[in-house]
Amino acid sequence: MAVARDLTRAMLGFGTMLRAAGLPVTTGALMDAVRALEMVDLMERGQVYLALRTVLVSRMEEQPGFDRCFEAFWKFQADDGQGLEGLVAAVQPRGSEEEPPTGGMEGAQQKQTQIALEDWDEGEAQEGEPLEVPGQSDRELLMEHDFSTFPVEQLDEVARLTVQIAKRLARRVSRRRKPTRRGGVVDLRRSMRANLTRGEIIELRRRSRRRRKVRLVLLCDVSGSMDLYSRFLLQFLYALQNVFGRVETFTFATRLTRVSELLRGPSYKSALRRLTEVRDWSGGTRIGDSLRDFNREWGHLVDRRTIVLVLSDGWDTGEPEVLAQEMLSLKRRAGRVIWLNPLLGNPSYEPLTRGMAAALPLVDHFAAAHNLASLRELAGHLTIR
Amino acid sequence: MRAEIKKIEEMMEAAEYVTDPAIAMSVHLAMTLKKPLLIEGHAGVGKTEVAKVMAKMLETNLIRLQCYEGLDAAQALYEWNYPKQLLHIKLEESTSHSLTEKEAAIFSPPFLIKRPLLQAISETGTPPVLLIDEIDRADEEFEAFLLEVLSEFQVTIPEIGTIKATQPPYVILTSNRIRELSDALRRRCLYLWIDFPGFEKEVRILTRKVPGVNERLAREISRFMETVRTIRLAKVPGVAETLDWAQALTSLHADHLDEELVAETLGCVVKDADDVKRLKRELATGGIARFVAAQS
Repeated sequence: MAVARDLTRAMLGFGTMLRAAGLPVTTGALMDAVRALEMVDLMERGQVYLALRTVLVSRMEEQPGFDRCFEAFWKFQADDGQGLEGLVAAVQPRGSEEEPPTGGMEGAQQKQTQIALEDWDEGEAQEGEPLEVPGQSDRELLMEHDFSTFPVEQLDEVARLTVQIAKRLARRVSRRRKPTRRGGVVDLRRSMRANLTRGEIIELRRRSRRRRKVRLVLLCDVSGSMDLYSRFLLQFLYALQNVFGRVETFTFATRLTRVSELLRGPSYKSALRRLTEVRDWSGGTRIGDSLRDFNREWGHLVDRRTIVLVLSDGWDTGEPEVLAQEMLSLKRRAGRVIWLNPLLGNPSYEPLTRGMAAALPLVDHFAAAHNLASLRELAGHLTIR
Repeated sequence: MRAEIKKIEEMMEAAEYVTDPAIAMSVHLAMTLKKPLLIEGHAGVGKTEVAKVMAKMLETNLIRLQCYEGLDAAQALYEWNYPKQLLHIKLEESTSHSLTEKEAAIFSPPFLIKRPLLQAISETGTPPVLLIDEIDRADEEFEAFLLEVLSEFQVTIPEIGTIKATQPPYVILTSNRIRELSDALRRRCLYLWIDFPGFEKEVRILTRKVPGVNERLAREISRFMETVRTIRLAKVPGVAETLDWAQALTSLHADHLDEELVAETLGCVVKDADDVKRLKRELATGGIARFVAAQS
């Protein structure tokens, strides 16, 4: 009995470590872990490791983090010295405590944007308050404004409009999917029901094949000024979420980060705030390398029913050949590849950067996504064929 | 308790499945904790095989649900036998049975077609092994439906009532990671990632499954495959390819690999035109020695 209690306590501690390392471990899983440990030889490290891994890891990518934690945990259980808190800090993934460099003009500017965005997010917290609805003409005005030109106070309002537009679009799409009286395949089950009194089937009931939902993969450039646009695009697409089978989101500047899980939480807004923390500030954008990382590790998420959206201004500090090659590999597998470049909203802009020039021939659709009107227009392109 | 895992390992080996401690542990926990086991891994590493071997070990039925895009409840759970119902209605036309009686007759168990999920739940006697193969091919909606079935192990058919499993089946799910599965499903399952086999394991698989292969050839093939898998290919060959290739080589009475032989049979290893080209290029630069003699 005492052993079981000790095991439970040890597992709860281990669970804290795993969560600190980023593994989504539930209490239920920890209880299963206790049960699993009762099935194996506790003196044998190999068995304890395999049993805990089977129960507590739920995708291959979590395995390295788990291994790190288990290493520390086993050592800790063995020589029982340090406090658990020190242990938790020890296994935290490296890089999270890195301070962003704040040198130079550009750095200062970025810092400012960051502060502004944080302010905006804080404002989002009071959700209960009804917000003033702007008049029709005001709204039309907002539609055409570039996101970056809004004062911080207005961002809130614009975000709300974004979601509103998305929801309207979502309704339109779902109506389109209602079953028709004609066409489709015969629904025998309902036909039988409808014709029970007649002795034979006179009236056929039909059902149309359910439209298979399109999946979305978003690759958002969050370096410097692109961050603001990423947020609006994300807000827009997540409000549209139920139209799509699934939305997978990645951010990149110099390295790729998967943020889907972050955004799937109950509090979407606080998750958006957390995106700021994920961001890497070390200068430059390596689009090609980020895409290569995506293709290598997450390529299995892309198929013919997937639309890949890349949001970036195309300022790539890497080699354009790499970008072109990875775009080609993406295009081969995806149903559609859309590149969004907010700079396109500026009438005098021409896609002359080396990166953009390399990527452009491999893109199915090239659009701006710099204001509400362009987001609304984008929705029309989010279908395959 | 350790003996149980050892026994599972032995039984798996006896069932012609070359196993390793991680696989044996997962099977052991799936059976004792009675939780579904989700197996992921590249194509051709023997994910489906685990379920088959498990059924063989437990001497019970294997019920398989092959998933595909558009799979729905009617194909996974149950459906009424419409032609039979129609025929019955025709035959009953002249009788004086009331409508309720007629309805009760055609919506009774003899008119029910059990699909795999219902079959697994309604089986009496020893609990079967339910294999839900390639769950990543099914739609998200189906995944949600499946979660419901897996948590309750009961099914309600409006016309008949609720059917509950006397003993829940052992459930194995496999996924090739065509799409990400939901966290809810993952949370419900134990997890096993089967990687490509290491050198030693692949040699064991070869000598076990391909009768004609000699020790030297088996080692050379395994070493070759190990090297091939480090090259960036569109479709990395799995164990199935290794076995095919070994079979082909033994039927050519080969007892070791040489350049000519490899070039002739490369089609067994990689099955994509670009991959064949790339592999040929690699072979031309480093020669076969680079692939086979990596031995240390």
